[in-house]
Amino acid sequence: MKTKEVNFSLRHFFIFIIMLSGFSIGQAKTLYAYDEHSGQAIEPVMTAPQSEGAKIVSKFEYEPIEFTPPRPERVVLDNGMVIYLLEDHELPLFKITAKFRTGAVYEPEEKAGLANLVGSVMRRGGTKTRTPEQMNEELEFIAASVETGISRESGSASLSTMKKDIDKGLDVFADVLMNPAFPEDMIRKEKDEILENIRRENDTPSKIIFREFRKILYKADHPYSRKIIGYKETVESITRDDMIAFHKKYFCPNNVIMGISGDFDTQEILEKLKVVFADWKKREIHFSEVPAVEKKFKRSINYIYKDVNQASVVFGHLGINRLNKDYFPIKIMNFILGGGSFTSRIPSKVRSDEGLAYSAYSGFHTPRDLGFFFASCQTKSESTVKAINFALDEVRKIREEHVGDDELELAKDTYINQFIFKFTSSASIVGQMVGIEYEGLPLDYLDTYVDNIKAITKEDIARVAKEYLRPDDIKLLVIGDVEQFDKPLTGFGEVNTIELENKKE
Amino acid sequence: MKKFRTKIIVISVILFFCANAFGQKLKLDVKEHKLDNGIKLLMLEKHDVPIVSLRIVYKVGSVNERPGITGASHLFEHMMFKGTEIFGTKDYNSEKPLLAKEDELMSDIVFEKSKGNDKDIEKLKRLQEELEDVWKKQKDLIVKDEMWSIYLKNGATGLNASTGNDATYYYCNLPANRLELWAFMESDRMKNLVLREFYSERDVVMEERRMRTENSPFGLLIEQLNAATFTAHPYGWPVIGWMSDIRNMKKADVSEYFEQYYSPNNAVIVVVGDINPDIVVDLIEKHFGDIERQPAPPSVTTVEPQQRGERRVYVEYDANPVLSIAYHKPAVGHPDQYVFDVIEAILSNGRTSRLYKSLIEEKRIAVMAHAYGGASKYPDTFIFFSSPRHPHTAEEVEEAIYEELEKLKTTPVTDHELQKIKNQLEAGFVRSLESASGLASEISSYEAISDWRYINTLVEKTVAVTPEDIIRVANKYFTKTNRTVAILVNKKKGNGAAHENKGS
Repeated sequence: MKTKEVNFSLRHFFIFIIMLSGFSIGQAKTLYAYDEHSGQAIEPVMTAPQSEGAKIVSKFEYEPIEFTPPRPERVVLDNGMVIYLLEDHELPLFKITAKFRTGAVYEPEEKAGLANLVGSVMRRGGTKTRTPEQMNEELEFIAASVETGISRESGSASLSTMKKDIDKGLDVFADVLMNPAFPEDMIRKEKDEILENIRRENDTPSKIIFREFRKILYKADHPYSRKIIGYKETVESITRDDMIAFHKKYFCPNNVIMGISGDFDTQEILEKLKVVFADWKKREIHFSEVPAVEKKFKRSINYIYKDVNQASVVFGHLGINRLNKDYFPIKIMNFILGGGSFTSRIPSKVRSDEGLAYSAYSGFHTPRDLGFFFASCQTKSESTVKAINFALDEVRKIREEHVGDDELELAKDTYINQFIFKFTSSASIVGQMVGIEYEGLPLDYLDTYVDNIKAITKEDIARVAKEYLRPDDIKLLVIGDVEQFDKPLTGFGEVNTIELENKKE
Repeated sequence: MKKFRTKIIVISVILFFCANAFGQKLKLDVKEHKLDNGIKLLMLEKHDVPIVSLRIVYKVGSVNERPGITGASHLFEHMMFKGTEIFGTKDYNSEKPLLAKEDELMSDIVFEKSKGNDKDIEKLKRLQEELEDVWKKQKDLIVKDEMWSIYLKNGATGLNASTGNDATYYYCNLPANRLELWAFMESDRMKNLVLREFYSERDVVMEERRMRTENSPFGLLIEQLNAATFTAHPYGWPVIGWMSDIRNMKKADVSEYFEQYYSPNNAVIVVVGDINPDIVVDLIEKHFGDIERQPAPPSVTTVEPQQRGERRVYVEYDANPVLSIAYHKPAVGHPDQYVFDVIEAILSNGRTSRLYKSLIEEKRIAVMAHAYGGASKYPDTFIFFSSPRHPHTAEEVEEAIYEELEKLKTTPVTDHELQKIKNQLEAGFVRSLESASGLASEISSYEAISDWRYINTLVEKTVAVTPEDIIRVANKYFTKTNRTVAILVNKKKGNGAAHENKGS
């Protein structure tokens, strides 16, 4: 339910970074050491421990962990609704998390921002029988929340309430999904706030960089190149009728997967769902055509001027979709290259060895069609080209020689031993299942996860590095003040200077 | 979920002890154990998943610094990941003289540079080459980020550390059977830390400052707001430190820090999860018990003098306007803090909060408006921050915020509003019990500024706040004399057009 253009969902990212979102305010200012943007335990074998400390801990023995993650029950109702349920009577809580097959990819280019606007006003504008003020008061008085949102490739809805308020919560939740009012005044308010956020996009490099990088990676007519929140002209052109039609088209019971967790009785909840969603009828959906991403690689060097003392850098190229057969080896390869926090090569070189950046990492963004590989860092203007070269060298190196045994083991052990943390709450367990089914992954995905990781060899890493990394075909984007750079960007090729969007008032 | 993050910080204010609708005991059953050397161990059992959430808190933050070494606590926090005499090095005995040589060369270079026009360029060049050579030799001995790797390999999640005004926190969640690994490595960090790769880490922190503060509108604004709000108290300087202080930080400055503040009697260990407290006590005693107690670190004695008139600060930067306002308020433990907690909720919690309803829904002059007034170890501020909606100005938003404060001063808050806040606090407490890592963070943050028990009385004390208390507190603190206003004004510095095609 994020509206920011640069916010990818972590699930789609093989980076293991915790971006401290925003900054801490006032007296509670906090700085984190590491920037982020989240079983079957095994005994890690220390590949030839290099330090005395490592030798000592390699001899530690651990009691085996016995833990069988609870399995949610999967039910399909007559109206087509897919539901995962997991009872958890530990605390008097109740949660629903739902995904709808919709997204900004289905909106026409001239109406860019439509899906996002529908996702916000659906909740903010109240329903046919509840004014926004009534609904807000009703929910907040009982410390409950109902939220909706639509991002690039999915819509989401959530309910969180105490056990004693399940009935009321369900009532509002169903009402919001089925009968949003989309009042004109609320549409106007939301549009005005979106326009303000568009005005503010150029205030910080972090808001500019992926917006522009997408335009460089994808052709202008592809929805992946566009901003989810839209543009001044397109947002203004969206009408209430557009919104009603968009909502009607995609919000129906046969287009949702729900995850329900908490202190409830499964049979009872299923009955209640049938009652509150009784008027919600199955409908055939004709999804708007999304053009396939054209798989083309062509080097390009791009520059945007901004009066700052630190350059923001991203480079990369088209990558893979989420269902790619090599997903796991690529995940491990990227962990070693730049997605495994301090221990991976790019941050180790650019940050730790050279002190050139606080944040330096790589990732694969893996949506439904071809996503992209990227490496990114921020470095003082005077070391811009140096930092780019260091990162680029690492991309070259991982293609040219086998990774070390210790690196491979570290990556695999990390994912295998962290596996248990996928099951720390009932809400996250059902949420994962909803995500897995929504992505079109096999429903036993988690059962085979550890084996898939275990099976990966050095040869697999070498193969996917060669196949999916193309250091000679990168698209590079640098934001900063070229006058202060250590070297001109022309060393990388002919420079295309980009004018910032909406610069003119 | 834009605009509805009710808290932007790690401390969530929760808790209630009273008859409640959930049949849930609204208290944390924390077990406490004190080691002879002063380490305080806090444990909370949570057996649903075989994991442990671990925290070490050192009661040191930017408030303990002084001009010249601002940012030392934070830089030191980075150094804590660089290893010890047995971790992160192939051979400490060979490394030791190299580290000493590095310091010697560094101080020679600084001395030579300080001569200004009389500096010997040739000598500087030679020293620089020698230093490069020492670094190269060091690199051959370093095992990069080894402690971090060992934790990851063992399934750690949430590995991180953070520095604030009052305390520094080290975070780690592990599978429950890995507790001893953690105790061994953390106690070694407390005993045998080695400040390797200090100078490159200093550069990293400078990059962090450029990213978080110098090229961020809110980062810049809040830094200037605090600098103007506090004329004497150390809350006035930024946690990350001033750039020139980071740039000139010496290894001796931070190692002195380590001696003084990273002592067992200044540390708290928090363990939440699938544990047997008796076993945990034994483990912690075994690994941490032999660390020597140090003299108690000096306390902060500087008191901010009473403000005697409004202060206004303008920050010029190439970005859209943002606004922040700060009012001085007392420290944790003062009864008025509970009233501020309620005021914050009334003004800033959710879609029914007063700031949201007034500034965003009714007047439509802002796209974001928040109030924050959490507890701190020393007297700090209740702050507001907001992004105006063009063409409305920061000053218009400022006036609208004052209007809301006037209402608090004159009109009693309704019982309905107070009941809503009570309901939210209770529910928030119950929800907090879901996450071991959230609980560990909460226990450590209250222990750092006062005592974890604060959590167990917070509810009853917050519930006891009356409409009259709110009127009294609003009138006492929300005055023009007691406030500092900082506004970021859009000032195009460079001329973008002049730079067109310069990239080629």
